[in-house]
Amino acid sequence: MTYAIETHNLAKTYRSGFFLRPVVGLRSLSIHVEQGQIFGFIGPNGAGKTTTIKILMGLQSATGGTATIFGRDHTEAEARRRVGFLPERPYFYEHLTAREMLRFFGQLFDVPKDVRNRKAEELLERVDLKRWGDVPLRKYSKGMLQRVGLCQALIHDPDLLVLDEPMSGLDPVGRALVCDLILEERKKGRTVFFSSHILPDVQALSDEIAIVIKGELKGIGPLDKLVRHSSNYSDIVFSGDIPGEIPNAKPVREEPQGHVVRVAPEHVKDVVTFLYEKGAVVVQISPERVTLEDVFLSELEKSAAVDQKRMGILA
Amino acid sequence: MKRLLAIALNTFKEAVRDRVLYSILFFAVGMMVISLALQDITIGDQAKIVRSVAQGAIDFFGSLIAMFLGVSLVWKELERRTAYTVLSKPIPRWMFILGKYLGLMLTLVVEVGIMLAVYCLLMTIQQKFPPPVVFVSMAMLLLELMLLTAWATLFSTYSAPTTASFFTLAIFAIGHLADDIWLYGNKAQSEVIRELSHQLYWMLPNLEVFNLRPVAVHELPIPWTQVWSGALYGLGYTAAVLCCAMAVFHNRDLK
Repeated sequence: MTYAIETHNLAKTYRSGFFLRPVVGLRSLSIHVEQGQIFGFIGPNGAGKTTTIKILMGLQSATGGTATIFGRDHTEAEARRRVGFLPERPYFYEHLTAREMLRFFGQLFDVPKDVRNRKAEELLERVDLKRWGDVPLRKYSKGMLQRVGLCQALIHDPDLLVLDEPMSGLDPVGRALVCDLILEERKKGRTVFFSSHILPDVQALSDEIAIVIKGELKGIGPLDKLVRHSSNYSDIVFSGDIPGEIPNAKPVREEPQGHVVRVAPEHVKDVVTFLYEKGAVVVQISPERVTLEDVFLSELEKSAAVDQKRMGILA
Repeated sequence: MKRLLAIALNTFKEAVRDRVLYSILFFAVGMMVISLALQDITIGDQAKIVRSVAQGAIDFFGSLIAMFLGVSLVWKELERRTAYTVLSKPIPRWMFILGKYLGLMLTLVVEVGIMLAVYCLLMTIQQKFPPPVVFVSMAMLLLELMLLTAWATLFSTYSAPTTASFFTLAIFAIGHLADDIWLYGNKAQSEVIRELSHQLYWMLPNLEVFNLRPVAVHELPIPWTQVWSGALYGLGYTAAVLCCAMAVFHNRDLK
């Protein structure tokens, strides 16, 4: 089966500063995105998400590994014919109106004139910008640019949508619109590959998720697979001071009602008994399911711990 | 081909919607109109002086527009990140550079065309409709602008507009002094300087080969040998510089 996107040991090292010091942007990234999937790509700032997308879109060259789009080498311009791309913080020609811009991008995909004119109207209608269609883009707000950016990505009915931070800068209505659009495109059988910082959206939309930290792939798969190693837990809120550590409980935060500790389901009874015996008052017990955010934060913590260890060895 | 045309027309549209361009054009037309007044305050062949100043204005402002637009041609696209969206389409890098360049040339043809039309109008009112040599001279000016713009495009692929302006201006100045470099080499005592001067002469463009202004001002017969050799030289040199620009841009990472 041909994957929509496939990378094998994809790597990127930048040269920075006067002495051209090597800086690793991406380290041996191997992922594959099946056709018809919604694939979420998450990671903190500087993790290598945008670098990966730029390499796939031919904007940067890889320093190692390979990447294909529908089986074609990503360096060929023609590999991008079936791809619709929305860059992070999209910038368009300010002298053009939205209609002119959509027609221009339609031309770059050789979309026939009548089809691109019709398609431009449909898309502007879909993102609620039809009455703004003849206004120059320099007068658009950030959210409007993001929406018109989605239109240009869809002007040629692509089989694969690559969206870099599509929810960034959008209000809740705009976010809902983008989420609906992504789901609609999947219904039509299209593949969507998107990066985002908004983890609940990624969790809600994605069939598969990849976590990248410091240029390295830390986890990949459906959410169920990613959380398999992280069990569910309960947060216990109590008031009163307990000297020393509470066995089998991990302090997580302070709240106005009291201290919050995280406890594995099998230890809830023991911890509550312990708190009672020490004179604390248990205010609330909330059983929680592990979320993508928990998995992500846990991976971040692990990565930071490895870094600290490495620094310790070097010192 | 259609995609190339789309990029070229978009570049043209962007240029003609730029207000700075109208300011330059306004000054150029103003300069030509003012040149008419020279007839009353100069001695000698007054008609020739008027023609010389007016044609000089077309040359100067044409070169100014070429440099002004050329040096930011690619850089602006990278700074404003508009190139990101275009290059993520099935557009090879060479096509992007060539499309941008052709769009700029179309702008220059229209600008020079407008200035020439104003010139013809003024000459018809004051003297007579210009002879064909003036039109050939303008065609040669366009060849010069074509080469100058190619250099500006090359500089624009890897440097900021300020640096690119400096380089392009240097090419413009050296290009008009190329014959002097050759003569300097001939007169030099040192063999090394002579060789260096001659090498520089062959490497750098000679923009004087396109200069038909004295012939046009004096309304002399068209020197066809200079025209054809200049055209071949201009086209060949421009193609070579553009190929360099494409090669530089091909390997460039967009940050």
